[in-house]
Amino acid sequence: MLKLENITKSYDGVPILENMNLDIQDGEIVSILGPSGCGKTTLLNLILGITEADSGKIIYNGEDMTHLPMEKRGFNIVFQDYALFPNLNVYRNITYGLKNKPGISTKEEVEELIDLLGLREHLTKRIEQLSGGQKQRAALARTMVMKPKILLLDEPLSALDGVIKESIKDRIKTIAKEYHLTTIIVTHDPEEALTLSDRVMILNDGGIAQFGRPEEIIHQPKNAFVEKFILNQLRIKRNNIFTLFGETTAVEKNRKAVLVS
Amino acid sequence: MKKGRKNIEIKMIYACVMLVFLIFLFVPLLKLMQQAFVENGSFTWSYFREILRESSFLKALKNSLLISFTCAFITTVLAFLLAYTIYYTNVPKIWKKLVNIIALLPMLLPTITYGFAIIYSFGKQGLLTRIFGHEVYMYGFPGLTLGYVIYTIPTAFMLIHNTMGYIDKKFGVVSKLMRDHPLANFQISVLRPLWGTLAASMIQSFFLSFTDFGIPASVGGKVNTIAGVLYQEMLGSIPDFNRGAVVAMVMLMPSIISIVILKWLERYNIRYNKISNIELEKNRVRDGVFMGISAGIMAAMLSIFAVIFVVPFVEEWPYRLNFTVEHFTAVFQDPNLLGVYTNSLFVAVLAAVFGVLISYGAALVTARSTLNEKLKSVIEGIALVINTIPGMVLGIAFLLTFTGTNFQGTFFILIICDIVHYFSTPYLMMKNSLLKMNASWETTAILMGDTWMKTIVRVVTPNALGTILEVFSYYFVNAMVTISAVIFLAGAHTMVITTKIKELQYYNKFNEVFVLSLLILAANIIAKYLFQWLAYKEKMK
Repeated sequence: MLKLENITKSYDGVPILENMNLDIQDGEIVSILGPSGCGKTTLLNLILGITEADSGKIIYNGEDMTHLPMEKRGFNIVFQDYALFPNLNVYRNITYGLKNKPGISTKEEVEELIDLLGLREHLTKRIEQLSGGQKQRAALARTMVMKPKILLLDEPLSALDGVIKESIKDRIKTIAKEYHLTTIIVTHDPEEALTLSDRVMILNDGGIAQFGRPEEIIHQPKNAFVEKFILNQLRIKRNNIFTLFGETTAVEKNRKAVLVS
Repeated sequence: MKKGRKNIEIKMIYACVMLVFLIFLFVPLLKLMQQAFVENGSFTWSYFREILRESSFLKALKNSLLISFTCAFITTVLAFLLAYTIYYTNVPKIWKKLVNIIALLPMLLPTITYGFAIIYSFGKQGLLTRIFGHEVYMYGFPGLTLGYVIYTIPTAFMLIHNTMGYIDKKFGVVSKLMRDHPLANFQISVLRPLWGTLAASMIQSFFLSFTDFGIPASVGGKVNTIAGVLYQEMLGSIPDFNRGAVVAMVMLMPSIISIVILKWLERYNIRYNKISNIELEKNRVRDGVFMGISAGIMAAMLSIFAVIFVVPFVEEWPYRLNFTVEHFTAVFQDPNLLGVYTNSLFVAVLAAVFGVLISYGAALVTARSTLNEKLKSVIEGIALVINTIPGMVLGIAFLLTFTGTNFQGTFFILIICDIVHYFSTPYLMMKNSLLKMNASWETTAILMGDTWMKTIVRVVTPNALGTILEVFSYYFVNAMVTISAVIFLAGAHTMVITTKIKELQYYNKFNEVFVLSLLILAANIIAKYLFQWLAYKEKMK
């Protein structure tokens, strides 16, 4: 279990996160959702260990990690732009960490990951030959080889288009369930967050606006921010889709709901 | 702590870079100022006043300023025409390639060689004089101007060519659709976006001409320049280091001013993300005119260089014109001259190797570390300061500082002088290339169990290889051709080709001069195109 206690962080005197408390269960997929500048990347960096909190504690399975350096925490991340190494082919990217920690994954485990993420036919390709989705999967495989205790994903879908998005979503879910892996995803897209995760944490102004299961957020928005910025966006999207398919009754019904809110 | 570990390595690199520039830049510059301003332990203007009162000095200064301005203007116009031919006309692709190659050709030869080439082309028995049957007097102003123009065309062309590639060619289409007059069109779609670069080209050309030593040394004749005065003060019949230091300071002034203006002009540079291409209108007349103009410029440049290829291959210019390779075999059989050639190669290779290391190290600090911004800005400052220091001034500062030390007359001092003198451009090349790389690589690699150093070796360096090769060739070529940086430093045992050429001039041994020049050219062509090709392959891989 990952536990954040009273985490506070400010840059140049501007508070980004204030007194944040948070519990994440093992094997859970949690999304951190919020507009840009809400502190979600800072939170990710704090958990990963790139930045240190001004005060507060980060505890993982009872062990205090607050002052542990990044590489000793055993967490790992897939960055938004993947940070794949262009001088190495796909396979050598995936097995990059094995050079430093030879036994961390067995040959079979690596092969299994390659198949699970559908990378078999791309192994000898150069990075720039890959599509966005393939890059995302390669980066995910490279990180998974390191057997992270917690997997952090920074905007994993924002650089991908339409259909690929849905397939990557499925892969992420599969990986998390298969390996019983605690997964924390940062995103600015409510649809992504609510369809991908077990629980969603909505950040606003350095604090948690709401933290709950997707259906809780949809049906019991805790405050005006969640209602206005998160739900409204989803409703507009839904209406557009409904309009496209000619289902006017639903549109009418929801337009009222929007107007009321 | 992770940060602590990472910073130890980067701090060590930083310390090494700082140490090099402390000893081989700041100390020499302080020494130079001391020579110019200190008399019997106290500050004085007396050396300055003494020199500024001499009419011969003022005359030389005036000559330098006048010729450098003239050259800056001519060069910029010519370079503009060449670049315009490439981007705004439909001349054949192969022609554009040719323009590209020939415009950059002069970079591969030392300036002192152009001077002699001009004399051998236009003199009484010159190649061009004989072909056209008409002698043009070239010593002094005309020769200096021509020499400087040839010398500065590559730099001006590169600058203008670079920016022109990024100018949005659709400006011209829009302007035409708005029914602008052709001149107004040209003004708004070509000149305006290029303004800063044209000014930068003028200033660069001015700076290069003003501080060059090779051309006045060969074709100056009775017209003295500031570089000539400096040489006389330091290595002439009555060396006077105080006066030399003052002249060096005077030479530094316009350099500093020009770099300050250049820096200021940078904000007027337009930067587009990608080279914009658009199909140009068909216009045979335009293509023909610019083909003619570029052909003229290239022919003029090549005709002057032709003599370098002719003179050493005939028995005795201009009397016995039979083909021979005896001058070459003579050079190769002369252990002294051959030794000078290997010295040059040795210095150039080592300057390239260590130049790469130091510029790469400095760029790693500024582009890929979390070191304090203030510490980083010191490196930026060094790169900027070095840009303002002419090779001769640095050479003199070295001479004043290291004479009498163990460094005097060693290869080491030549190599380090080249490295410091040419540091700015390689550093900027490296920094830009490192900045373009993904910012998350180091974090990712550390999470994969790498140390910072390991990441640099396994990931960053392989991806920077193209630029590293370019920097290597930049250092090599420049170390091969520089004369101003090393003229004061080469000793009897550390003579390099360019300084040897200066010596051969006294004995009128021009066959040897041209043979050695061709050897430099050959080494540079190999280095430049080989590394360009390697870098290209690396980028394509």
